[in-house]
Amino acid sequence: MSINHQVPIFEVKELSFSVRGQKILSSISFEIFNSEYVAIIGPNGGGKTTLIRILLGLDKPTTGTVKLFGKKIQEFKKWHKIGYVPQRASLVDSSFPATVLDIVNMGRTSQRKIFSSMTKEDRDAVDDAMKKMDICDLKDKMVGTLSGGQRQRVMIARALASRPEILILDEPNTGVDAHSQKNFYELLSRLNKEENITIVFITHDIGVIADDIGRLFTINQKAIICNDPKKAMSCEDMSKLYGIDAHLIHNHKHEH
Amino acid sequence: MFEIFEYDFMQRAFLAGVIIAILASVSGTFIVLRRYSMMSETLAHSALVGVAVGLVAGYNPLWMAVVAAVLSAWLIEYLRSSFALYSDAVLAILLSGTLAVAVIIVSLGGAFNNSLFSYLFGSILSVSDEDIVTIAIFGSISLVLLLAYSRELYFVAYDEEVAKTSGMKVKFLNYLLVTVVAIIIALSIRVVGSLLIGALMVIPTVSALQFRVGFLKTISISLVLALLSVASGMVLSFHFSLPSGATIVLCVLFLFMICLVANRR
Repeated sequence: MSINHQVPIFEVKELSFSVRGQKILSSISFEIFNSEYVAIIGPNGGGKTTLIRILLGLDKPTTGTVKLFGKKIQEFKKWHKIGYVPQRASLVDSSFPATVLDIVNMGRTSQRKIFSSMTKEDRDAVDDAMKKMDICDLKDKMVGTLSGGQRQRVMIARALASRPEILILDEPNTGVDAHSQKNFYELLSRLNKEENITIVFITHDIGVIADDIGRLFTINQKAIICNDPKKAMSCEDMSKLYGIDAHLIHNHKHEH
Repeated sequence: MFEIFEYDFMQRAFLAGVIIAILASVSGTFIVLRRYSMMSETLAHSALVGVAVGLVAGYNPLWMAVVAAVLSAWLIEYLRSSFALYSDAVLAILLSGTLAVAVIIVSLGGAFNNSLFSYLFGSILSVSDEDIVTIAIFGSISLVLLLAYSRELYFVAYDEEVAKTSGMKVKFLNYLLVTVVAIIIALSIRVVGSLLIGALMVIPTVSALQFRVGFLKTISISLVLALLSVASGMVLSFHFSLPSGATIVLCVLFLFMICLVANRR
């Protein structure tokens, strides 16, 4: 896998964020490049979600700059290049009138022209996304009736339907059973390796991180970036950040 | 049963009723899914301020109702997005506050009479040709706007934040929705009345939700239920000399109960 070091997808410089005088994030700088696989971990309240919200344009940094695909975030327009799977993906309002197809179609909404119906390109993108997530047979099912793992795949399919170059997932395993979690990490790996999609996901559960992530960001107001996660697993900094004796548990599926 | 169409005023009433049923049920779907149900009540009361000004100052009350409802919708949306907390309290304050203002204006102007009463409870039989034209013009514009942005509005109702991150202009869409709904409510109070329009907007959608089907089917069921209630309500009110607005609302309530029982788990 070759990593493109030309223009970073995310370029964050000296980013700080405060709410009512309280510092949430403090002078964070990093870059994320095309086809990377990045995990962001850190304790609850450490600022992981705030960081993601800033990268998605939902919150404005107090100081510092953020660039997306080389453009200042304020001027960035091509949001369909970024697929976002929110934290509550698995906690959908079960009475909302939406079939799986309704939800995945949403992924095409922001790119459509007003008054126009779905084009062939739209339908192909939706079909493609559902195939990748293996949810074609669920197409006409109501989202409210699905299991946590199935809903999660639907939310990712919606994000994939806009044909993004990067997927950002916030605590993707909330409410998902252990078996689905394992499949889920295999799926992320596959999207990263086969489809060349950059993956950034955050989790507070440091026990579930797979071996094949490229880089590991630990966020607790400040950021510590480990370019070799396998070393990070014994990294003393981690314990300091968490203030507890933290260690990562390997996912042994790749060992021979 | 078709002798009711022999009267001109009944033909006008039916036409107005059908248009309002379409507008209220389609916009109601977005209102319910967006969790704005209470807003329809508040806007209906705000529209009365316009009616009061119209009655006292001698302008067309329907037009003034549209203006008052739209201004109130913008105020609510502004307060809601700027002060996220207590948005239901904002609705409650405006709900009673605007009604009080309307009553005071009308009584100061010496016009506290049947006119205001007919806007409170609806007076479908006194709908004029001019009213029909106003309802048809504003109604079609509102409906076209709603349908043009229906997929965007659906996405925002489902998940406002993800809609925002996918590049949608959520603020614009929110203002668009409340504006269109304000117009539709103002148009409807002539037919079902300010105190009853909320029912015609909300109940058909809540009934349709009981079927647990996708978006298009939900909106279609809601539309059919609204049309059925308006039609049956008007026939019943004609034959038994009942007030039309209240009869329509009772019909929609009856259909709601059938849907509830038929879909119980």
